[in-house]
Amino acid sequence: MSEINTIKKKTLGDRFAEFKAMSGADKRRAVGGVLINNAMYIIIAIAVIFIAIKVPAFLGLPSIVNIISLTAAKLPIALGIGGCIVLTGTDISAGRCVGLTACIAASLLQVATYSNKMFPNLGVMPLWLVFLIVVAVGALVGLVNGFFVAKFKLHPFIVTLSTQLIVFGTVLMYLMIGTNNGQTLSGLDTSYTDFVRGTLFTIGDVAVPKYVLYAVIITAIMWVIWNKTAFGKNMFAVGSNEEAANVSGVNVFMTIVLVFVLAGAMYGVTGFIEGARIASCSANTGLNYECDAIAACVIGGVSFVGGTGKISGIVIGVLLLQIIFAGLNFLSVSANMLYIIKGLIILIACAIDMRKYLVRK
Amino acid sequence: MARNPEITTESAAPRKSGGLYSRVKVSVKTLDIIILVLIAALVLCVWFMVSHNGFTVTYDTLGGTPVESVRVLHGETLSPETPTREGYTFDGWYLDKEYRYAWNPETDPVTDSMTLYAKWVEAPRDGT
Repeated sequence: MSEINTIKKKTLGDRFAEFKAMSGADKRRAVGGVLINNAMYIIIAIAVIFIAIKVPAFLGLPSIVNIISLTAAKLPIALGIGGCIVLTGTDISAGRCVGLTACIAASLLQVATYSNKMFPNLGVMPLWLVFLIVVAVGALVGLVNGFFVAKFKLHPFIVTLSTQLIVFGTVLMYLMIGTNNGQTLSGLDTSYTDFVRGTLFTIGDVAVPKYVLYAVIITAIMWVIWNKTAFGKNMFAVGSNEEAANVSGVNVFMTIVLVFVLAGAMYGVTGFIEGARIASCSANTGLNYECDAIAACVIGGVSFVGGTGKISGIVIGVLLLQIIFAGLNFLSVSANMLYIIKGLIILIACAIDMRKYLVRK
Repeated sequence: MARNPEITTESAAPRKSGGLYSRVKVSVKTLDIIILVLIAALVLCVWFMVSHNGFTVTYDTLGGTPVESVRVLHGETLSPETPTREGYTFDGWYLDKEYRYAWNPETDPVTDSMTLYAKWVEAPRDGT
């Protein structure tokens, strides 16, 4: 099995020559390994072909733009969680954090004349200020997560489970402010909805929303942070081996805290976009978003081994997931049933990830 | 925090951990079988879901005569019977009870399961 590993570092021609030299059993094993390692992509490719044959509209322009828009909406949260997974952790407070920030953004940006405005005397706040507020709220949740993960050495699952509950409770209480009484927040100011949902450009007669552009910008920023900054390098060092990173002089505590703060800020960004995208925020906004994000990261090759992962992988992971969900929607599969699929996808992606680790070892 | 940006290459060398998988005790062969079983389960699930497909649209007439829920496929439109309610006239279907998002069953294509709410306006009381 170790041959496969060494083969990886050679060119395609060398690989082919070596493959030809193998015995029959080795050949079969090598092919099997490649097939299983890429099983997820193969399944998705088959699914796309199957769906496209059954419902040709799936490959139509409106459907493709819809998939790209959904990918853009789910990208920032996945990019945030990706950092936590690089540290061999995870973050299950992400979805609720998106819900909280979306509700805050929506409540601060309701139309001044809206009858059921949460803060009737506030008017409409400037967009940039609300954006900073929600990013700060997200970063604060991340700070709490990061502090307890780094200081207590607790597994992020436990820490983020508790912050998930705390954040959810906060959302519920926040929605009780004033005369709102737990209702859905709507009546958003047009400056907010235009800024997020407004048309970036149109292909044919299909409008591409502006948040696609914001997702591209966020992805570029995260790419620079991960690949070009000392913090990014420290993150990968801590992820692949905490003790070794510590010995080499990396401030492990600060790195872990900052990774979670950055993730929290990303949830704030997602919440800001999500608030205007779905235009009616309730306590259920953001529910289970972290599942999609974690699944996307694992499919995209951010390994639970720690210290490995690429921004491009996360983008591909989110895109592939949205393709599956959009496709199943075209096949009239109810959203309720998708949860089983999501769970199985996470398990399979983890098993494949584990297999790659075992083969390397 | 950034005392030495060059550490990545050094620290990556003694990779003894393995993160969440450091204590995994399973052979690649067993894992292959597990992966294949999981994939089979996924395919079975998708097959089950696709064969039991259809979105359920429920009508909440909010006090009017009941309208039976229907199962429709993606992109189809609806044709519910018009409910009646004494003292009120029917004023269309809405996605929410606050009547913010109107839904025209004959023209709007269904893309997910949903509940539609009937809107009622008080009928003028000239019939007495």
